[in-house]
Amino acid sequence: MIHRGEDIIIRTISRMLIPFIQLYGLYVIMHGHYSPGGGFQGGVILGASLILLLITHGYHDARSRVPERVLTVFSGVGVFIYAGTGFLCLVLMGNFLDYAMLAKILHTDAAHARSLGILSVEIGVGMAVMAVMVSIFLDISTGGVLPGEEEEKQKTAEEA
Amino acid sequence: MEVTLLVQAADESFTILEKARVRAVDLMNTAAKLTSETRWMEEKRVRAIFRGARESRAGLQNFVVTFVILFVFWALLSGKYDAFHLSLGVICTGVVAWMGHELIFHNVRAGDMRVIAWRFLKYIPWLFHEIVMSNFHVARLVLSPRLPIDPNLMRYRTKLESDTSMVTLANSITLTPGTITIAIENGEFIVHALDRKVADDLNAGAMEDQVAHIFMEADHIYIQDVLDVARIFAALR
Repeated sequence: MIHRGEDIIIRTISRMLIPFIQLYGLYVIMHGHYSPGGGFQGGVILGASLILLLITHGYHDARSRVPERVLTVFSGVGVFIYAGTGFLCLVLMGNFLDYAMLAKILHTDAAHARSLGILSVEIGVGMAVMAVMVSIFLDISTGGVLPGEEEEKQKTAEEA
Repeated sequence: MEVTLLVQAADESFTILEKARVRAVDLMNTAAKLTSETRWMEEKRVRAIFRGARESRAGLQNFVVTFVILFVFWALLSGKYDAFHLSLGVICTGVVAWMGHELIFHNVRAGDMRVIAWRFLKYIPWLFHEIVMSNFHVARLVLSPRLPIDPNLMRYRTKLESDTSMVTLANSITLTPGTITIAIENGEFIVHALDRKVADDLNAGAMEDQVAHIFMEADHIYIQDVLDVARIFAALR
């Protein structure tokens, strides 16, 4: 169970820093094919920003921003984007993740197609890593049962 | 004979009059009820429109300001100013600003933003001056051979109200040499002061007054309230 932090200073400062941390994570993802970084690193930074929100504000305040369902969907969609890019290259008569084959669809040269292919793979990896990081944190800190879930289960049991 | 006829006619006219009176009272009651109901509903509608407009205006303004700040941050990080990377930046900044604009600007009302920003910018040189002055003081303490320090923990009750202003004051105290904020407990600052003079400077409350002036708290009035009252007066006239 994650409780709301008591310290006003930590809560306020982290509240103001979280958008910047998230933007930095997105920057690391989007510039992964030019500079150090990439999908995994940026995804971890994004996940860390959400975990910071959960630690400082507690699950009850932060659940509208970090719903469990959205995390599940994000991890699935992220893996789908990654594997989908790979299989798209297979379908276009190349190897798995052979980005140069994407040039046929994108109507560009091979170099630009490689750049865009790596970008899409990194977006997928970033989404999946972010969602899985926050899910692992939630599972460990709540013992597998989220605070809202118990009430919902009781409600459905009463209705039945 | 004529008298009985007369009495009967008078009786009949009285009953007719009585019925008419009851009916008139009924009608008036219904009319009054209808009027009050419609007026109540109308008032509720207008109030909802006003509140919604104000909230959405504040939300939009907070979103736009957050977007601009975050986009400047993105441009500084990215360093690539071609169309592809700038459009990526617009998308990423939009997503982050949409998710986080009420995280950065929490409870900031529409008319207050510009005033707070301007006063905060004016506060920074003042704070810098304070830091330099107490730097000299602490340097004198440290360099003197007798080391005339008197470290003490003091409790400092504040008149500030919101989290943001309290955190601004706490960080200003910590930035000033000689004093460090250890914790804020229920509107009470626990401050470590290096000697009597810095503690007295803090207790004089000049810094707290400055912060209260920035965020328009503790016997300062909100700009938005003045604007609202002015608009209501204009509408009444």
